Amino acid sequence: MNKLIVSPSPHVHGKDNTRRLMGDVIIALLPAVLVSIYFFGLSAIHLVAVSVVACVAVEFLIQKFLLKGKSSIGDLSAIVTGVLLALNLPVCSPWWLILIGAVVAIGIAKMTFGGLGQNIFNPALVARVVLLVSFPILMTGSAFHAPESGYIFGNAPEFVDATSGATPLALVKEQLAKGVAMDEIMKDPNLSYFQMLYARMGGSAGELSAIALILGFVYLLVRRVIKPYISLSVLLTVFIFSGLLYLGNPAKFVDPVFNLLTGGLLLGAFFMATDYVTSPMTTKGQIIFGVGIGVITVLIRAFGAYPEGVSFAILIMNSTVPLLNKIQPKRFAKEAQKK
Amino acid sequence: MSKFKYLLEGIVKNNPTFVLVLGMCPTLATTTSAMNGMGMGAATMAVLICSNMVISLLAPIIPDKVRIPCYIVVIAAFVTVVQFVMQAFTPALYETLGIFIPLIVVNCIVLGRAEAFANKHSVLESALDGIGIGIGFTIALTCIGLVREVLGNLSAFDHKFASSDGMLVFVLAPGAFLVLGYLMVIFNKIKGKKNA
Amino acid sequence: MAIKSSLRNMALVLTLVCLGASAAVAVIYAVTKDPIEIAKADKTNKAIKQVVPAFDNNPSEEILNIPADLSSPQETNKVYVAKKGDEIVGYAVESTTTKGFGGAFTIMVGFTPNGEVYNTSVISHSETPGLGAKITDGQSHFITQWNGKNLVDGSVKIAVTKDGGDIDAITASTITSRAYCDAMEIAGNVFNNINIQ
Repeated sequence: MNKLIVSPSPHVHGKDNTRRLMGDVIIALLPAVLVSIYFFGLSAIHLVAVSVVACVAVEFLIQKFLLKGKSSIGDLSAIVTGVLLALNLPVCSPWWLILIGAVVAIGIAKMTFGGLGQNIFNPALVARVVLLVSFPILMTGSAFHAPESGYIFGNAPEFVDATSGATPLALVKEQLAKGVAMDEIMKDPNLSYFQMLYARMGGSAGELSAIALILGFVYLLVRRVIKPYISLSVLLTVFIFSGLLYLGNPAKFVDPVFNLLTGGLLLGAFFMATDYVTSPMTTKGQIIFGVGIGVITVLIRAFGAYPEGVSFAILIMNSTVPLLNKIQPKRFAKEAQKK
Repeated sequence: MSKFKYLLEGIVKNNPTFVLVLGMCPTLATTTSAMNGMGMGAATMAVLICSNMVISLLAPIIPDKVRIPCYIVVIAAFVTVVQFVMQAFTPALYETLGIFIPLIVVNCIVLGRAEAFANKHSVLESALDGIGIGIGFTIALTCIGLVREVLGNLSAFDHKFASSDGMLVFVLAPGAFLVLGYLMVIFNKIKGKKNA
Repeated sequence: MAIKSSLRNMALVLTLVCLGASAAVAVIYAVTKDPIEIAKADKTNKAIKQVVPAFDNNPSEEILNIPADLSSPQETNKVYVAKKGDEIVGYAVESTTTKGFGGAFTIMVGFTPNGEVYNTSVISHSETPGLGAKITDGQSHFITQWNGKNLVDGSVKIAVTKDGGDIDAITASTITSRAYCDAMEIAGNVFNNINIQ
């Protein structure tokens, strides 16, 4: 009997189609990249450039010399991984850190599993998590811990206003550990919503401007590259779950809007969780996927040791996707039972 | 001599880590450095040789229905002996390996060889098999430990060659899985080429 | 093949195997008992040697059990006394903190008789490699900054600079650094109470 493959549109067929989709994703990511360059200048260009070049180079070298086959860098998927990887790293990352990230993302997370379409885990996130565990000081620092050397062009990034350099979430967790009540913590001007919506915060290059990320998301929706179910269920779940926690104990938990705007949540919900290869195909599956990510993110942020949880949440839910794909639409399941 | 093939097979053809994929738990946990891996391999080899020989000796008189409990008691006795000896004479290694020394009892390699080999072969053959498998295990653990140590700690056999830390992921659990997986690929590729 | 699996045979063989195994283990136990004791004492003495000035007695034989908090005298810490001849050259205090990032960890703090910290070292811990695990680096600034400080006369605020204290924390390991301060404070209190006993 022929297997019926159930999947929602758009369907990825030949290389041209992949190329068009990847091109759209790159365009959607441009606002975030541009915001990053606006605030950090040469360092941001260094980050994105090294990342993209490294990812493409690693994929080309592996395909041509290790696997002795044809190179598929024309489908632009390596470039997308490169940009996403850059947005997940701190702006002050030295070139060798970015290179190792590229090797992990393309070499380990993508190629070892069989190339585009075969990987289980989101390559950029795998690289980010591996780097986070391997170089904790470099990855959680900000420009104020920036190493002096390690840049192919430009210098270590400079900041105009002095902050302690920690990301908003890390700042909050640290103050909470000291026993400061939430409303006291929120008086810190670096934590204002205005800053987060329009301007910049500490953290990775992609966490900067929510507006830029939302613009990209809307573009992807308009171009029919992705459907909104995953992103919306992630954001709604985070909002509701953290909202409940906040209502229960406002002194210990951040308010839900803060949660939405900080950390890599928007970047994760719009661009990382929606990656075709590593997300479910059915609508039901996608919603469950999004809810799962939301729940795990809030749990890690509120109760876990790390201040940020989106990367881990998405990777954990990635591993459930083969299971989620088995959830059939009711119609087809009933017909199969009849036979 | 034909009997030596039992020894050689344990190192490559039947390598317990890369081919038989047995004893994964201590492999992943104790290979944080080359010396630790080597120490664990040596301890397991000691138990393996002794238990193989004794079980081969006793196999004719052990009734079939109670053979597994008997093997386990023999293995546990030897593990306890090794544990006391290590605690007395190699205290540093004893501390580092910690709970994984008593866990040698449930290492599938030991019970597996007893069941698959020792109870069907002579004492000499069982001893040679124990040595071969033991050497294979020790080499595998030392290699994995060395890779993890070089990448994760920038040192080799406890001698640091750079002052900073390496990629920490390799001294933690995820790195263990990654290194084991890739070394397994490389090992089997080389083994495949040799046989072709 | 093996002998018949009758009930008599099975019971007999099992009993004999267990007896044999127990006998072998008992023999080895007796033989290694003393070397094990020596190895254990050696380990403690090594830790003590690292933290107090040179001594010639066996501190493991002169253990005081001093409480850190006089209002709960049953909870004591081990204090090893190091002597040269008849003169006390130092006290090594075992101190445990429960506030570590990976759980509790234990350190050995060496005091000179006048209350200054001579040196400290970690006995056991489960902190994160590369971050909190840096407490085991005896050459690091974090460890050496304690040497010479007097913890009981009020001259040192035992807290990390972030909390208004005088101690520089390990980069990106504030929680571990705070826990270490906690362990040092406990050790200081224990030292204070030695003379009261």
